[in-house]
Amino acid sequence: MVQDQRIIVGVYHLSKTFGKHFSLHDINLQVTNGEFVFLVGRSGAGKSTLLRMIYMDDVPSSGQVVVGPYVSTKMKRGTIPNLRRKIGIVFQDFRLLDDRTVFENVALALKVAGAGIGDVKHQVTDILMRVGLYHKRYDFPHELSGGEQQRVAIARAVANRPSVLLADEPTGNLDPVVTRSILELLFKINAGGTAVLMATHDLDLVKSFGQRIIYLDGGRVVKDKDMIYVGDLRDRIADSKISEKADRLEDRDITGDRGDRR
Amino acid sequence: MMARRKAANAFSIVIMGLCLLILVVFILLTLNVQSVIDRASEEMRAYVYLEDGVAASTSREIQMKLLGLEGVEEVVFVSKEEALASFRKDLGDSKDMLDALGSNPLPDAYRVKLKPEYIRSEYLEKLAGDAGKWEGVEEFRYGEKWLGRGEKLVRGFYVVDLCIGVIILLAVIFVIANTVRLTVLTRQKAIEVAKLVGATNAYIRIPFLVEGAFQGAVSSLLAIALLAVIHGFAQRFLPGVMFLRGDSIFGFVVFCALLGALASYGAMRRFLKV
Repeated sequence: MVQDQRIIVGVYHLSKTFGKHFSLHDINLQVTNGEFVFLVGRSGAGKSTLLRMIYMDDVPSSGQVVVGPYVSTKMKRGTIPNLRRKIGIVFQDFRLLDDRTVFENVALALKVAGAGIGDVKHQVTDILMRVGLYHKRYDFPHELSGGEQQRVAIARAVANRPSVLLADEPTGNLDPVVTRSILELLFKINAGGTAVLMATHDLDLVKSFGQRIIYLDGGRVVKDKDMIYVGDLRDRIADSKISEKADRLEDRDITGDRGDRR
Repeated sequence: MMARRKAANAFSIVIMGLCLLILVVFILLTLNVQSVIDRASEEMRAYVYLEDGVAASTSREIQMKLLGLEGVEEVVFVSKEEALASFRKDLGDSKDMLDALGSNPLPDAYRVKLKPEYIRSEYLEKLAGDAGKWEGVEEFRYGEKWLGRGEKLVRGFYVVDLCIGVIILLAVIFVIANTVRLTVLTRQKAIEVAKLVGATNAYIRIPFLVEGAFQGAVSSLLAIALLAVIHGFAQRFLPGVMFLRGDSIFGFVVFCALLGALASYGAMRRFLKV
């Protein structure tokens, strides 16, 4: 299927059934280059399943997914790795390799794509600087906080300069302060031209950004609210609900600290 | 984390090594029994006894005819005097008995050595029938009774040995496949992550194949080392006990390495689908 050049992810009449049960039902959505889209729905609404269809970890029961030049119905198994290098993927549970350092975790993405040693070193350094973790490059994941681990995961996801980043509840395990910083990082990546499709159950978290929100419920798209704000999303963070929460948490931490000292 | 993986790896290698030890002990036992059987057939001789007072030319003719028979490797003339002397030696203390006889009762004979693959009851029976009718030949003897029994015993041994061998081999393959699979399972996450970031199946598979081969090879070497210890111990009691030949050891290590790699490949198959 030929689709508009500006569309980086296209989902067309996609259904997925497990046995007789519909997990996804006639999903249609498109993400254009450089767009930031929230995919909101309760647990079990089908967000993760939909994302898995997009990075082609599973095949639709009917309909198709188009990511750049890759069409799910025409994919050969051997080309899936090429697709994965064009997509960054981030999860709630980070999925870092515990026995490798921060540096090695990020380097993995470049190595599997066949980058030379010099390139890998140069690029990993660059990416770790951008996510602010260069000073922890020799640490192992278990030595990092949750927020730091997610930054490493994001660094790994964007290492190959993907045209789209899929994030499945990337802030699900993180407190509001860290959530805000992770959102900031995702917005920064988006500002650099990478489209982002972020799934979350937390509507409160995302509705104050004025971004496009796709509502998923019971395996169907129930609402696809268009973007009302154009510009760098980072400018919107200060006024957002998550910032409010984060500020409140920071205040409380300070109060708590004082209490300890007393 | 790294240390834990190394420990798990060492543990797998020990398990596989012990399991392979059973196999190599069995192989060594089989080889030793086989060498005893081979030696027995190597030492086996048939005797062609000549009629008393046969002419030298007839005797020569018989020798030539014997040498012309299929499977005959060597034909040696044993005169009645030589036979008596060796008989005397064999009798030891009871040799006085022979002196009482006065004359030598033993005939001249040809001692025939056969190639091992021709030492079979059916073949020798036929030879004995044919050669027994030659002019100047009294009798062709080859220890019929013993050969018949020996053959049955050897055949029985090989059947039982093969059955046990197959069972042990299957058990060993089963244990190795499962041990290697556990190693792969512990790194399921690493496989998933590599797939997520766009590693090809080959890229993911190669380190695992190498690791499987390594585990197989090292555990087989461990088994060989333990076998050497057992062999050294056994030699104190049975000095002639053979050890595996260098090329069989090499073959065994290669076999185990391949087995390990194959087990790894099999274990990964389900993680690398789609």
